Amino acid sequence: MNFEELRRQFEADLSQTHDLNQVKCVRDKWLSRENGIITGEMKRLRDLPKEERPFFGHAMNQLREFAETKIEEVRAYVVESETRRRKKRIDVTRPGFPYAVGKQHPIRRLQQEIEEVFVSLGFTVFDLPEVERDYYNFEALNMPRNHPARDAQDTFYFDENLLLRTHCSSVQVHSMETLTPPIRAVATGKAYRRDPFDATHSPMFHQVDILVVDEGITMGDLKGTLEVFLKRIFHPDIRMRLRPGFFPFVEPGAEVDISCIFCAGAGCRICKQSGWIEILGAGMVHPKVLRMSGIDDARYSGFAWGMGIDRVAILKYGVDDIRLFFENDLRFLTQF
Amino acid sequence: MKISLEWLQQFLDLPQDLARLREDLTMAGLVVESVAEVHGAPVFEMEITSNRPDCISYLGIAREIAALYGKRLRRMPAARELHIETERIPYSIAIRDADLCPRYVGLVLDEIRVAPSPLWMQRRLEASGMRPVNNIVDITNYVLLERGHPLHAFDFDLLRGGRIVVGRAHPEQKIVTLDGVERTLDGEMLLINDGAGPVAIAGVMGGQNSEIGATTRRVLIECAYFQPASIRRTSRKLGLSTEASYRFERGADWNGPVAATARCCYLIQKIAGGRIAGSVQDVYPAPLRPVEIELRLARAESLLGVPLTPAFVRDTLKRLNFKPVRKGKGLWQVACPSYRADMELEADLIEEIARFYGYGNIPATIPYSRNTGKPSPVRPYEDTARGILLGLGYYESVNLSFANQEDQRVFPPAGERALEIRNAMTEETQFMRAHLTPGLLRAAKHNFNHNQRFVRLFEIGKTFGRAADGAVLERNLLAILGTGSMAGANWHNSAANYDFFHLKGVVSALLEGMRCAPAEVVPVSDVPWLHPETAAALLVAGKRYGVLGALHPELEERLKLKQTVYVAEIDFQELYAHLFTPVRFEPVARFPGVERDLSFMVSRDVSYAALRKGILGLGVAELAELELTDVYEGNQVPADKVSMTLRIVFRDREGTLTVDRVQGFSDNIRTFLRDHFSAENR
Repeated sequence: MNFEELRRQFEADLSQTHDLNQVKCVRDKWLSRENGIITGEMKRLRDLPKEERPFFGHAMNQLREFAETKIEEVRAYVVESETRRRKKRIDVTRPGFPYAVGKQHPIRRLQQEIEEVFVSLGFTVFDLPEVERDYYNFEALNMPRNHPARDAQDTFYFDENLLLRTHCSSVQVHSMETLTPPIRAVATGKAYRRDPFDATHSPMFHQVDILVVDEGITMGDLKGTLEVFLKRIFHPDIRMRLRPGFFPFVEPGAEVDISCIFCAGAGCRICKQSGWIEILGAGMVHPKVLRMSGIDDARYSGFAWGMGIDRVAILKYGVDDIRLFFENDLRFLTQF
Repeated sequence: MKISLEWLQQFLDLPQDLARLREDLTMAGLVVESVAEVHGAPVFEMEITSNRPDCISYLGIAREIAALYGKRLRRMPAARELHIETERIPYSIAIRDADLCPRYVGLVLDEIRVAPSPLWMQRRLEASGMRPVNNIVDITNYVLLERGHPLHAFDFDLLRGGRIVVGRAHPEQKIVTLDGVERTLDGEMLLINDGAGPVAIAGVMGGQNSEIGATTRRVLIECAYFQPASIRRTSRKLGLSTEASYRFERGADWNGPVAATARCCYLIQKIAGGRIAGSVQDVYPAPLRPVEIELRLARAESLLGVPLTPAFVRDTLKRLNFKPVRKGKGLWQVACPSYRADMELEADLIEEIARFYGYGNIPATIPYSRNTGKPSPVRPYEDTARGILLGLGYYESVNLSFANQEDQRVFPPAGERALEIRNAMTEETQFMRAHLTPGLLRAAKHNFNHNQRFVRLFEIGKTFGRAADGAVLERNLLAILGTGSMAGANWHNSAANYDFFHLKGVVSALLEGMRCAPAEVVPVSDVPWLHPETAAALLVAGKRYGVLGALHPELEERLKLKQTVYVAEIDFQELYAHLFTPVRFEPVARFPGVERDLSFMVSRDVSYAALRKGILGLGVAELAELELTDVYEGNQVPADKVSMTLRIVFRDREGTLTVDRVQGFSDNIRTFLRDHFSAENR
């Protein structure tokens, strides 16, 4: 038996195949259990003299494996080319499957960003109650009852001592009561004032307040830390300035302006042509505030600041009405 | 406060460059909000912080400018002599409550001719935002604006008994004030009385009974120093804020009354023709002393973070009329001006040093941190939940924390009382919300109104209530809302109407993504805002942590939603304990599983949960997965029946399963379903 001749004939047969049916025919012709050519040759093995069997068997096995591999290759090729022929070109410009994706609320996103900045600067985030005692919101922040500064923060009360926090500055008192210096504390969240709704006021808004207390903390440190924070939240190119301001819980106190992010300080409608936008209140922690919370003001000093998160969102995204944040209109939310 | 530069220039020459003046004042803490023009002269609109009552006047602003530029102030002409040889009109002043009125200065003039004040005065008053009345009233207002010290003029002929008595009111005592309103006082409010009764609410407003009129010939000028907190309390309690109370409650100059009286006297003599008829009386039982504060150079340097020279500190203080007395090296005892009501501690002086050093000149430094950052303990829960819900296509919303009466009625606080606001602004802010659902519904409704009917929202936020013992409960909840249809809105036609199982699927995915302990959803009928046939509770370890379902049809109708809305509300904070269960790795199966579909028909009363629980309870260790792959409730099955298909995957961890064993398992399950649930094969 000439193996080479068999192989040649097999390859010739296979080369004539163009579809799956023809491949099957070739397979049946050569490898079918009952009457395949190679199967038939294998059956002749036992008729051969004993000494020829190993050689013949080995050669036939090789031929069979060769045939199987080749048929499989051709079959795969035919399948693929047939599929390719059958399938029409798709329009890849049609929209993809409409998987839905939601959007994080812009204020919540900012709140998260702000907390992350402070954690990276070594601050502990406090999760504080929104219903607060008068002591934590006012009294311990050097705003006793009948203090004129309370005027600016018209407050919702539940009873004599219980109110809706008007800022997150209560973090100062809570952190000083529970931690010993060095203290770096931050609280973010909702705050409330009795301001009727309009484009720039809402009875509910969001606030971030921080406190740093340690030995040797200076007003320069306040400026440096503020600058890092404002550049991270707004833009690395932002400029900042401090000017004297009054908040009962700090002394010296400061109002902080940033260079107008709309006109880069050139003067526009938003910054009232001044080039600056008032963004937050800050200062060195008032000695009375330290003392009231049991911190030795001879040994320690600190700084604090508070900022409206909604205001940042308004400036950062150019939103022109604070009410939009609480209407949850999908046409608004999808933009963030 | 409005500051007319024409008037201000009486005190000192102003810099030519107004923009620079404006900038310098602003950077010194006296913010010039805007500049207007009145009668052809610029007027600064200034914002004076509540700690600087001394700056609510022309003199105060002028003093600051003089200190800034190192200039001297011109003195305003005032009466040199307030005494007369022979008292022509005897009168008396008595302070009964010196704690509320430390000082009271009086002066009586006669031969007054009440008339309109001169044009220059009227213009200055108008430029400062005040309406001219008559010369006497205008002069007291003029001095008030000029010196920041309020004065009051009584028609002396209307003062009964020629007496002034300063003392607390009787409870329920009444007085008709200049604005014609009858006001009821309490026992802590300070009154100015004559010999017979009240003639003014001290430091707030005069009484109508002693008002200056066209026929007034004799006046008593009052210039007092009242205790700030008392005036503030009275003003707040009466809801009456005046130019006088505004200044007194912040702190007037306790050393100022005589000078203000002298200035007022001068103007009356010059403009209204008055003559002193009763000498000045300065009733001042316990003279006040200037505040003295010790100032350490080293402390100022360490608080500001800049080196300072003793000369700079001393010069700054002197410019501002403080009197520093050197006590040692870098140590001063500083006497504060009587008009600086804000001075109390060393830090207050250091702020003055910083103001004049310039906040902008302090170099920014980064303090060395000895702390490691620590995120909020709620962050992992909130952030993970948010991430999952956003990924599933839900938008995060933030709703107001308030609720109205109707919200509290339809969504009653669970096992507690509503938290009511005592001084609500409107009905909409009367309560604190007890649930998140009402807010989400309002948001959905808002979107429906703008023709967006496919809405998916969630919110994580606080709800409030009062426990039986009165304690305030504040809890972090999570709520989800879904409604509408996307069918036809995309070429894939991939989403049908939002239904209960979309909502349940989201809740399940949320719990799965947060590795919640095993949870079950069971039917309930006790949630007033949910549809009784489509309401469920979420149980974890047998305890209820939330509810989900379709909105009650009546509520849907009342809110005019016109489509079914599905809502879930989860007591998120309580659930924390069951979230992020520890991970225990189980080896991944190496052998393939065998899939079998079981189709059968059961009564509609049989719940899927019961079937599933029963099958899993058979204890077939090789049962690896069990899914409900089809449900049919149409014409092909009897009305009280439902057809289900379960896909079960059997797998042996040790080897490949034989066909016979798999057949055995599924036969067992079929038999079980037939015996226990009367299931019929299909």
